[in-house]
Amino acid sequence: MKTSIKKTLGITALAGGIVVAAGVGVIEYNLHRDYPMTITVASGDALKAKIARGQYVAFAADCAACHTVPGGASYAGGYSLDTPFGKILASNITSDKETGIGAWSEQQFNRAVRHGIGSHGYLYPAMPYTAYAKMTDQDIDDLWAYIRTVPAVDKAVVENQLPFPYNQRFLLAGWNFLFFHTGVFEPRKSLNPEQNRGAYLVEGAGHCAACHTPKNALGGDSSGHAFQGGTLQGWYAPDLTPNPYIGLGGQSVADIVTYLKTGSNKTSVASGPMTEAVENSTQHLTDADLHAIVTYLRTLPASSTSVPIVLAANDPRMLKGKLVFQAACMACHVPNASGIPNMIPAFAKNPIINAPDPSSLIHTVLRGMLGPQTWQNPTGAGMPRFDWKMPDDNMADVLTFIRNSWGNAAPPVTAAMISQMRKNIHADMWSGIKKPENGLN
Amino acid sequence: MRRRVVLKAGLVLMSTATAAAIMRPVGAAARVLRGGAGKWIARETPPPVPVDPSKRIFFTPQEENLVKAIFDQLIPADDLSVSASDAGCVVFIDHQLAGSYGKASSRFKGGPFQEGTPEQGDQSKLTPADIYKIGLAEMNDHCRKMSGKAFEELPAPQQVEYLEAMEAGKFTYKTIKSSELFTQFLTNVQEGFLSDPVYGGNRNMVGWRMIGFPGARYDYRDVAELKGQRLEIEPVSISDRI
Repeated sequence: MKTSIKKTLGITALAGGIVVAAGVGVIEYNLHRDYPMTITVASGDALKAKIARGQYVAFAADCAACHTVPGGASYAGGYSLDTPFGKILASNITSDKETGIGAWSEQQFNRAVRHGIGSHGYLYPAMPYTAYAKMTDQDIDDLWAYIRTVPAVDKAVVENQLPFPYNQRFLLAGWNFLFFHTGVFEPRKSLNPEQNRGAYLVEGAGHCAACHTPKNALGGDSSGHAFQGGTLQGWYAPDLTPNPYIGLGGQSVADIVTYLKTGSNKTSVASGPMTEAVENSTQHLTDADLHAIVTYLRTLPASSTSVPIVLAANDPRMLKGKLVFQAACMACHVPNASGIPNMIPAFAKNPIINAPDPSSLIHTVLRGMLGPQTWQNPTGAGMPRFDWKMPDDNMADVLTFIRNSWGNAAPPVTAAMISQMRKNIHADMWSGIKKPENGLN
Repeated sequence: MRRRVVLKAGLVLMSTATAAAIMRPVGAAARVLRGGAGKWIARETPPPVPVDPSKRIFFTPQEENLVKAIFDQLIPADDLSVSASDAGCVVFIDHQLAGSYGKASSRFKGGPFQEGTPEQGDQSKLTPADIYKIGLAEMNDHCRKMSGKAFEELPAPQQVEYLEAMEAGKFTYKTIKSSELFTQFLTNVQEGFLSDPVYGGNRNMVGWRMIGFPGARYDYRDVAELKGQRLEIEPVSISDRI
């Protein structure tokens, strides 16, 4: 799977950057200050503990998602982010002095992670420094202690492979001026300590808003819609607010913790970029931190999406969709659509099934998926791809049926949406049976 | 080895295994899987490529006409179904003969070649493709000599008569036994009529609809208890539109 959370962030952020740059960008507006680095370097057991904490911060920040190529050396970079503007490669952050960041000072590291300024100038917001800016001095210091222990890998990466004019890094100054609000996380009085810890993880290292907050026309976060779900690169990252219908309100805190820890729960299984986020990041977090994350999400204002009117069961799309469901889906997802807990998602009252945007559903049906493989649930069941097997109309009808049965109600899926998604994600065409011309045997 | 030694050895083995299981340090699994990079990925199965019914890739036009005439007597259009050729059975066997089935790829093809007993199955060195090429030519020659007409030109009752004699082994062809050639045709027309439409036959799942077979479905939990009744389940093909 080539998609990742950071990659999706990169595309929208970059889009915004370019647009803003056209107007504002020529002025290099440096509004970022360095934070004082007051933490002393420890040694012996204290250093070991510090490095362990730093590794934990690296998990929470999901650095591996982009800086490690799947199957490649850890943190050696080279992961390609294919944006509509061209290619950006994640950098080598091993301790190699020539090709990595082994020759960097902690100040330089801090400037890159929290301020978006690297050795070549401004970083592209594919690197989520907008969220990392909220991380504490202590966490940055621990992370630096850990990163320095990553074995050196001699691998030169040319990060910026964008064509002109997008390859001009100073353009990012304008984008930062509009969308980058610098400053370490401040605990809020309205939240209890656990909720504040959760907010710190969600808004800081976890950079959840990268996908789960819809973007405005310039690629910045849409104000007033924080964590209400967003669509990037053919995946819909669902609503994380307590909305009981399409958000997380219908699931218990324990269920959501289980999802983040194992990749699945009674109702849901992670798909798309979230699979990587669970494997690389959330499965490694402590139960206390996962609990904190969910209790914070519970404090968000619920999105106000009205429930659509359910499609009539005798609608032709529903009748055909039911037939397709029985033939293609029912064996694993079970006749009453309850799925199999921690393995195969349920359809009944599953928020992603009812999501206003069916992108993730279409994507999964077309390309299939491998479930998350975690240390608590190593089996990671998969779903076969249906792109070659199912024509657009059958796929649209079955998704429409699933989204309007067992208490679900959501806008119908059209054959045109399936056809468009096939093109967008380079899925195979339906390889169905050609009907013979007349006169042939 | 004496019995006591065996028992002792067994006891030692059992206790060692138990101890290993109990004494294993906390968190030490046989193999720790953490997902992410280096995870196990299933190999993808290549999807089937449906037969293109507009292409004839093995038969000559003359052979095709002869096979069509034979198949349409074996499965004629009637109250039960359309004819074999309308169901795509000729397309089916044409593509099969051009592929690994025609070459008998799954069979040992070295000698020695002996008659064998009926229980030993086909012992011939002829592949299905050989049987069709040689058999159709010999049958055509024989029919023309006997009746002065090609088989496909004969009126239907005479075609049936001819096939019945073939089945009974009454004709002597140069290379192939007439009864064996008949069996070959009968087997293949049935296969074409009942195999998945993706292979060119069983067009619109006509064969499956006739016998009430639901096709490439894989879940019957809802109907498993319904014994002795016709279920009228809409059949599905591997990759046809539903």
